[in-house]
Amino acid sequence: MEPQSCVNINKEWDIVGARQLGREMAKKLGFGTVDQARIATAVSELARNIYLYADKGQICFEVIDKRERQGLCMTAVDTGPGISDISKVMEDGYTTSGGLGAGLPGVKRLMDEFDIVSEIEKGTRIKTVKWIR
Amino acid sequence: MEEVIDNSAANYKELLKHYLESQDEQALYGVEKVSKSFIKNEILPEEIINLHIQAMGEINPNLKADYKHSMNFLLEAMIFYGLAMQEIPLLKEEKHVLKSEISVAASMQKTLLGTTKPTIEGLDIGIISVPAHQMNGDYHHFIKGKDGSLGIAIADVVGKGIPAALCMSMIKYAMDSYPEESMSPKSILKNLNRVVERNVDPSMFITMCYAHYKPKESKLYLSSAGHEPGYYYHAQSDTFEEIETKGLVLGVSPDTEYAQYELPINKNDMIILLTDGVTECRDGDRFIDSREVLDIIKQYADLPAQQMVEGVYKHFEKLQDFQLRDDFTLLVLRKDV
Amino acid sequence: MNLTVNVVEENEKSILNVSGEIDIYTAPKLKETLLPLTKVEGKTVEVNLENVNYMDSTGLGVFISALKSTKEKKSKLTLINLQDRVMRIFEITGLDDVIDIKAAIRGGNE
Repeated sequence: MEPQSCVNINKEWDIVGARQLGREMAKKLGFGTVDQARIATAVSELARNIYLYADKGQICFEVIDKRERQGLCMTAVDTGPGISDISKVMEDGYTTSGGLGAGLPGVKRLMDEFDIVSEIEKGTRIKTVKWIR
Repeated sequence: MEEVIDNSAANYKELLKHYLESQDEQALYGVEKVSKSFIKNEILPEEIINLHIQAMGEINPNLKADYKHSMNFLLEAMIFYGLAMQEIPLLKEEKHVLKSEISVAASMQKTLLGTTKPTIEGLDIGIISVPAHQMNGDYHHFIKGKDGSLGIAIADVVGKGIPAALCMSMIKYAMDSYPEESMSPKSILKNLNRVVERNVDPSMFITMCYAHYKPKESKLYLSSAGHEPGYYYHAQSDTFEEIETKGLVLGVSPDTEYAQYELPINKNDMIILLTDGVTECRDGDRFIDSREVLDIIKQYADLPAQQMVEGVYKHFEKLQDFQLRDDFTLLVLRKDV
Repeated sequence: MNLTVNVVEENEKSILNVSGEIDIYTAPKLKETLLPLTKVEGKTVEVNLENVNYMDSTGLGVFISALKSTKEKKSKLTLINLQDRVMRIFEITGLDDVIDIKAAIRGGNE
């Protein structure tokens, strides 16, 4: 398995590609069915955010292999407009897509670790990790 | 969470196996109990589907590939339901926070808009004001002048709840800024009208009655901005008379002028001021008419003014099954001497 | 408790036939129909209240905002066929002096 692989997000179709890569890596790493589905859903949300708000960006997957535990790290990077009020988009119920439970708070719930850095006019970087239970 | 799943997993598998063999109700009752424990322990739907997939796989190792794929498909479809479910406790908590903030606001309103019933020699005053919900959209205020006179405002904001209460605070502070004694009822209303017209949403308005009692003259001066008419009780003839006042509600037209009325008050006469929460009480589906209100007031007329308004309120509270539909304010002035 | 609002266009005039009760729950429906009409420059709007047997202060609020928009847009608002109970509310609040009200039905449906 490649230690790091990336998928470019330019069009909606790329979301599917990103999901697939995320799921395959999760499967190879030994994640259960439920966690595979959660990881794929998190990828979807991250990729869709890029597609909808930033035009283009990238999602990179990286295997974390430490002695005590193993996991999958996903990093979504875009060069979009950036997020002016991060605490607002992290608020439950605040999703421009209108769906319950979705958006970045959803990604945070689906994964174990979540970190976001954003700069206006420059872009956003979201790093998130899921550990194998 | 893992433990709950592990414990229930064995149970679930047994029940499922039993059901596949017999399709009987007992197994279904069993799974109902398991499902309750899942909810209690916040087990997400995708985990339950996964549990089902595992159990079926163990019960029957020769499952068709189509069936297995379809179950994985279902699991995938449940992920968002799981996310939505996790929001529920947060939303509940938010509701709780809002509720307690409103109750803080309500008690703040009480303090801000609080007024004490003054003692005026020769005048017995009774007042009761009860909100239908937490925040009161009715307002009343007493101002005792240095010359022994008494200013009384009674008002009703259209609508109920928080917007009405905020609007009332504005009125109260506008009134506080007026030089008390020099102002006549008509000029107070004229001024307030401008404040309301400038600051309030076009669909909002306030009705107010402002009265000024001068003990030395034994006279009540009064102006009304579209407020529910009050009543004058003539002790000598034991009759009520509607106090006819005309005036536009506050907040509609910026240069409204208000008429001022002058009522001489004799011994044991009463002035009754109220809001439409009193006159629009319902008895079942029927609205009571003003005559009924006066009849009830008369029933309690022998009591001191405060006991009288409380008695009348209790009567209508009971009539409406203790569910007020509108804020209720009733004020009685009786000349003792 | 419900409210129906029908609009009939007659030459330059819009006639709103309202029936039911106008209260805090139904007033938004009346407002949605009435306000856009009074916001049309020079428009004449006639509201027929013949079948309205109850109106509370929220309903008055709707007519007050309609009145204000007629002043801005030089449109015209007329209320016709008011029942006694409804008419009384316009009288108490002094709005009968500033809103054009015609032909109250004496007695109403009581």
